[in-house]
Amino acid sequence: MTSAHAIPVSVLTGFLGSGKTTLLGHLLRQPELSRAAVIINEFGEIGLDHELIATSEDSVIALTTGCLCCKVRSDLTQTLHDLLRRRDAGALAFDRVVIETSGLADPAPILHALMTDVALAERVTLGSVVTTVDAVAGEATLDREAVSRKQAAVADRIVLTKLDLAGGEAAALRQRIAALNSAAPMLHAVRGRIAAADLFAAALSEPRPDAGPQIDAWLGDAAAHSHAHHDAELISYAIVRAGPIQAVALTLFLEALAEHCGADLLRLKGIVNIAESPQRPAVIHGVQHVFHAPAWLERWPSAERTSRMVFITRRIPQRWVEALLDAIGAEVACVSKKDSSW
Amino acid sequence: MSGVPIALAGELVAASLAAWRVGGVAACTADGAIVIERTRDSKTVRIEPKPDDSMFRWLVIVDGRPRPAVSLVAVLRQVRAALDADFAATRVRVSLAPLLVP
Repeated sequence: MTSAHAIPVSVLTGFLGSGKTTLLGHLLRQPELSRAAVIINEFGEIGLDHELIATSEDSVIALTTGCLCCKVRSDLTQTLHDLLRRRDAGALAFDRVVIETSGLADPAPILHALMTDVALAERVTLGSVVTTVDAVAGEATLDREAVSRKQAAVADRIVLTKLDLAGGEAAALRQRIAALNSAAPMLHAVRGRIAAADLFAAALSEPRPDAGPQIDAWLGDAAAHSHAHHDAELISYAIVRAGPIQAVALTLFLEALAEHCGADLLRLKGIVNIAESPQRPAVIHGVQHVFHAPAWLERWPSAERTSRMVFITRRIPQRWVEALLDAIGAEVACVSKKDSSW
Repeated sequence: MSGVPIALAGELVAASLAAWRVGGVAACTADGAIVIERTRDSKTVRIEPKPDDSMFRWLVIVDGRPRPAVSLVAVLRQVRAALDADFAATRVRVSLAPLLVP
């Protein structure tokens, strides 16, 4: 399985009316996305969004059979397979896919589908998750709609829209979003205008040994701070460890997390100093109970050697996660010591 | 010793009860074990380290029945199963798509 030619699939999500389609329309006019195929999921009897996107009709596909997160395994994966077949046949040229979800979609099943479909895995890779939040109605929506909180919580990038209508910098909304997801940088778009590179630089693209700033951007500011940010339901925090973690301890830790709290682990990403691989840190990523196998960097991206893991969870206490990691680490260290003394 | 200081294991068990929202308290005992008492019915679970057993390093005693456990992860699984009737373990799935990093 090679990643060299994997096609990044980015997810654009956000609640109803938060400006996803306007944003996408502007993005598709930029060179970075000039060769993007677009899948638009509309929830309703008559799909309109795809009519509003000005680009090659062949590269825009509307899924109007239902909400993407509910029928994701059949509709989305089938659509991606069809796109790839057309690309292979030379009927369509694209080097990136953008999925615009319906405003009511839970993004997690969509990410799972991209991560676990056997045939897709050889061809595509998960790119950025970009979430739009309406600066005018965003606070009320976050209060009222659980799915909107989840959309914000799993994002790599948050785009505030309609700031010009909000009349200010939406400080309260920014605080609210930071409480949900302190790891995602917040950007703003004016009438949909934003640089594509600002959104898709966070994509999980080809590993590079000089990836320091990109890794930091991917992990976000939260990775530097171990304190928690609280929403009523969602908590984001970072766990930082100065010492290396043994590989089997990390495996057991992730297994236990998934086993006991998988449904509430909205997103986990991190860079880990593995004891058996001191020169090559592991990058980890999970969505609920689905984890990527770690990716190994060629070298540390900076002088920083600490393990940093960012958690976005639904009421998983930081204290438990820390206790779990520390206790498993202690047990594995002891067993290793015993083994080596035999 | 199993290798894990009992205080550290006790802290993990106590934090686990809170994380799982299982009402109960966990305390380390003078003889080096951990005892959990569920609040609503006083059901108890006792966890003992087994320092001389190189394979099953823990013993979990539920309703008087001892069950060996190979690791703290296995201990947690047994404790959760004993105290949380609604618990259904979620198995990890490993993504088939490669993780490509920035």
